[in-house]
Amino acid sequence: MITVRMEPGGEVKTFAQLNTVQQLLNRLGLRHTEALVIRGGRLLTQDLKLESDDALTVRVVVSAG
Amino acid sequence: MKCRRCKVPAEVALPSHNTAFCRDCFLVYFSRQVENAVRRHAMFTRKDRVLVALSGGKDSLSLMLQLSDLGFDVTGLHVDLGIPKSSESARAKVEGFCADRGLKLQVKELAAEGLAIPLVKAAVHRPVCSICGKIKRHFFNKVALEGGFTALATGHNLDDEVARLFANTLRWDQGYLGDQGPCLPDESGFARKVKPLYRLSEFETAAFAFLRGIEHHKDACPYSPGASFTGHKRLWNDLEWKSPGSKVSFYEGFLERGRPAFAAQERESGFTLTPCAKCGSPTSQELCGVCRVRLAVEAFGKG
Ligand code: SF4
Ligand SMILES: [Zn+2]
Ligand SMILES: [Zn+2]
Repeated sequence: MITVRMEPGGEVKTFAQLNTVQQLLNRLGLRHTEALVIRGGRLLTQDLKLESDDALTVRVVVSAG
Repeated sequence: MKCRRCKVPAEVALPSHNTAFCRDCFLVYFSRQVENAVRRHAMFTRKDRVLVALSGGKDSLSLMLQLSDLGFDVTGLHVDLGIPKSSESARAKVEGFCADRGLKLQVKELAAEGLAIPLVKAAVHRPVCSICGKIKRHFFNKVALEGGFTALATGHNLDDEVARLFANTLRWDQGYLGDQGPCLPDESGFARKVKPLYRLSEFETAAFAFLRGIEHHKDACPYSPGASFTGHKRLWNDLEWKSPGSKVSFYEGFLERGRPAFAAQERESGFTLTPCAKCGSPTSQELCGVCRVRLAVEAFGKG
């Protein structure tokens, strides 16, 4: 199970099957320039593979004016 | 994905530049973007004292850290809006950030001025954000002028600037179109205003803040309407996605070919500013906007 903590807000989502960061972003309706995907202190580019027990943070960067 | 410069695994992909960088190379790229913007627009030099408006968000704190790393003489200014919880948390982030890194900071408390935003919101029957923005700009300018700073720097990024230019363009707002840009000169009672992050996207400043370990304020203000700006940002992200580089070319094209025309027209038809009768801030009326808000708050207090 992949666990994703969303920022801002702190909502936690879980996903059973995801292979890549790109797939995760697609499921969240985000482009890779609209959010940071963070795993263990590193930023992940969209091509990277996810592990089935990953704990990630997705930080949406688009702010109000 | 590999870093374009050193070929190790990349952490930041930048489609607008058709490239990707590892952590170290991204930080070099970021630093150069800021240094080039400062130099190209003659914003300030290492001899100048620069006041940096710090909201506690990723952009302003990133700006402060990068300017300090580049050897500029920076002092932070935080305006404490007096909004329960939200302002306390933002202020704590700013104070912690500056204390940890040994950076100079001044704090202006609106409550001490009788202008805490919740009170202003109750007293004035207009959207609170436009007044809040006015009050913040008023104190940024006042502190900059009174403190003898050469320039007032804000953390506006490329997305902020493009969204604002787009909104002004949709209205063909001549006054604003003649007066938007990364470096506005000091004149008629205004400190010089500069935006050294104007070439960097929101994604890039967020990546910088993360990679430099900046703890920033992330929660939205309770009064935030989720402004139409966000809608425009979305639109521009669509455009940038289909045609990378659109944001920069729209904005730089405006600076080069649009703004001069609007500025010339404004010089002919624009109204002149005179000092506010109460506080001396530049205004087109007898009292400046902030002094008028103050009157409304006082009247409200008397019931
Ligand atoms: S959202 Fe909050 S902080 Fe921002 S302008 Fe509105 S009232 Fe002020
Ligand atoms: Zn590199
Ligand atoms: Zn005044």
